[in-house]
Amino acid sequence: MKSVRLWFKKGGLAVYISHLDMNRCMTRAVRRAEIPLWYTEGFNPHPYMTFLMPLPLGQEGKREPLDIRIEQDMSFDEIKSKLNSVMPDGIEIVDVLEPVNKPNEIAAAEYEITVEFATEGEAEGFAAGAQSIIDGGILNAEKRSKRGIKTVNLCEMVRSFSIEAEKNFCKIKTILAAGNSVNLNADLLLNALFAEFAAEYEKTSITRTRLLREDLSDFR
Amino acid sequence: MYPKKIEKFLLKVQKPGRYTGGELNSVVKDKNSVDIRYAFCFPDTYEIGMSHLGMKILYSLVNSRDDAWCERVFAPGTDMEQVMRENDIPLYALESGDAIKDFDILGFTLQYELCYTNVLNMLDLAGLPVRSKDRTALTPIVIAGGACVCNGEPMADFFDITLPGDGEEVTMELIDLLKEYKAKGATKQEFLAAAAQIKGVYVPSLYEVEYNGDNTVKSVTPTCGAPEKVEKRNVADLDKMFSPTEFVVPFLEVVHDRTTVEIFRGCIRGCRFCQAGFLNRPLRRKSPEAVEAQCRAICESTGYDEISLCSLSTSDYKGLGKLITNMLPWTIDEKINIALPSLRVDNFPKELMEKLNAVRRSGLTFAPEAGTQRLRDVINKNITEEEVLKTAAQAFAGGWTAVKLYFMIGLPTETEEDIRGIADLAQAVVDEYYKNPDKPKGKSVSVSISLASLVPKPFTPFQWEPQDKPDVLVDKQNFLVSCVTTRKVNVSRHVPWTSFLEGVFARGDRRLGNVIETAWRKGCKMDGWAEHLKPELWEESFAENGIDPYFYTARRREFDEILPWDHMDYGVTKNFLIKENEKAHKAETTACCREKCAGCGANKLNGGVCDEISKTVV
Repeated sequence: MKSVRLWFKKGGLAVYISHLDMNRCMTRAVRRAEIPLWYTEGFNPHPYMTFLMPLPLGQEGKREPLDIRIEQDMSFDEIKSKLNSVMPDGIEIVDVLEPVNKPNEIAAAEYEITVEFATEGEAEGFAAGAQSIIDGGILNAEKRSKRGIKTVNLCEMVRSFSIEAEKNFCKIKTILAAGNSVNLNADLLLNALFAEFAAEYEKTSITRTRLLREDLSDFR
Repeated sequence: MYPKKIEKFLLKVQKPGRYTGGELNSVVKDKNSVDIRYAFCFPDTYEIGMSHLGMKILYSLVNSRDDAWCERVFAPGTDMEQVMRENDIPLYALESGDAIKDFDILGFTLQYELCYTNVLNMLDLAGLPVRSKDRTALTPIVIAGGACVCNGEPMADFFDITLPGDGEEVTMELIDLLKEYKAKGATKQEFLAAAAQIKGVYVPSLYEVEYNGDNTVKSVTPTCGAPEKVEKRNVADLDKMFSPTEFVVPFLEVVHDRTTVEIFRGCIRGCRFCQAGFLNRPLRRKSPEAVEAQCRAICESTGYDEISLCSLSTSDYKGLGKLITNMLPWTIDEKINIALPSLRVDNFPKELMEKLNAVRRSGLTFAPEAGTQRLRDVINKNITEEEVLKTAAQAFAGGWTAVKLYFMIGLPTETEEDIRGIADLAQAVVDEYYKNPDKPKGKSVSVSISLASLVPKPFTPFQWEPQDKPDVLVDKQNFLVSCVTTRKVNVSRHVPWTSFLEGVFARGDRRLGNVIETAWRKGCKMDGWAEHLKPELWEESFAENGIDPYFYTARRREFDEILPWDHMDYGVTKNFLIKENEKAHKAETTACCREKCAGCGANKLNGGVCDEISKTVV
């Protein structure tokens, strides 16, 4: 048995696949590709497969990790090409590597976000306002957790944030806390900012570009 | 691919995956390279429709032609419908995102009477008039198939064509004909008259229906050369019939998401309430070699880890043991589970059950249907209490702790005794569990009774029987619940009003078309979903159109009455059904086809051949 970390890209129509559905989708892809997957033992054997950081519905991912275990040796190149030949549109394996870091080392994630407004003025106003709020260090919002809903200061989970207006678009680059203990969904941050300014936007697109460790080095 | 306009709403509706298309194995063609665009319309949600085997077969079949492109369309959820109506987004097909009003054929499948309002709603969402006569252009032609078209009369005003029987061959012939008539610039009337000449095609508008003073049918008269009797289409050889090797693999969880392969059509049992058992005669069997090859191909192209060998009574398949023995080596190796729906308790060997549990264990369901032997004889469900208990004991010995039992109430000749018998049988199953010396420690048994209500259906021996009114059914349900004295037995029941409405349409006539349209205009849709069913709006709609719905359900029909569906021919003769009805009232059983041919008459559709009699299998 051998652990393998798949790195995949999710975009296009595939952003509408929820995390739960993603699990089923990848299991089937691995079966179609005839990867010698290792199955758990016991009453209801299922393939060992772990998404390290679920991607929320509607968000794109540039480089998302998925751990699997294989029973027999197969080269990483072969795994990659076999999987890519059976993947549905919008999902692509970009790398197959040996796991380096432990899953619980994920501490942050980098995002690129585009917000479309109706006018240039609205975009400029939002960019200026959002930057000063984040720099000010206080943005309270209700956050759902396993223990119920509570009000938290989102800024404590923002590691870096820069926003620029460009015509009627705002482009945001940000690093947010991610992982099992502290995690901030980019949707939540955006919605809190929209609520703060009662801003009306046309469309948002959120892309998770990288997963990072505590020292902001790449999670591998 | 969805229309661009809808993108910004996708994250605001539930389960956007229903509306995006792009699933694995979905077929995308160049629309300029095809002559016929076919929208397969399923009048219910994506999750229900994507579980339907008929759609998978016809989808692959039509797409096997270079000159046609078949796409899928489902009824949108209410949230999505609102978005579409508010933003002028017409109903579109999932593969192209193109509006279906510009397609050539809209093919609906009618599996269930309570989806009728959804058909109207989908036509309206598409931007089309709901009535056939108001759609004057040649295309789109709106057609329907599926079990309900054996009596499509309530929907006669809306469909241009219905296709009773097996759809594979007739769909292809209809596409050929439409292609020809489109090319020569024919009118819709010309096309419909020509289509009516194809065997298995019914054009409702070519039939004039007259009624007697008491509202029964006086006569049905064909016009424009349409046949007096419309014989259902019958695919003679299932091995030669087209069968898909790829299924579209949905992203979201749907009801049945697995490899499904039909092993035979028809049924040898003759349960008198079962419409499918009579509509699909004569029995036609697929060879085990073909079944296995199809299972393998679909598993490979989809990655599914479950196979369902599907039929009306799977344990009646000759050679089932051999088929499963052949399949087990590769299915176990690939961790694929084999599911056998519709098993009978009287002929499923224990060893087979154990073998099937090699990969994953599924639930155990029996369908005794009635609580006493007398009533089981009335409905010709030829199983005994002893057989039920014996199989339950075997299952408990094999480690099962939960059993589901299907029953019906509202059966002809039913008494309190019969209903109490349901609770008694469930209790006997519980007792059987505690007789097992090796039962798991500390684990209790759970017996679930699923209680349906009989809806007498056309082309069954019960087609003349009165149906219990909803209040009577509620009383019977409550009586059953009062008979259950243990927590180990729980009862889940159907909504009686749902069965009532189903009964109205099942045996209805054309006068119901106005009622359906009125109800839909008042806001009725998704009537099969308890949370959407609006009885008060339906009651208003019946009243406004001067229709007494109980005329269709609560009345005993005479054998010599002209029934609204008498001009359909499903092979089984009326005399046979009358004979079966009379035997039911005497609680006399009819042996299954394997023991003795009962002479139902359906083999005439198949050149006199019934596979049950003709094919010997070692």
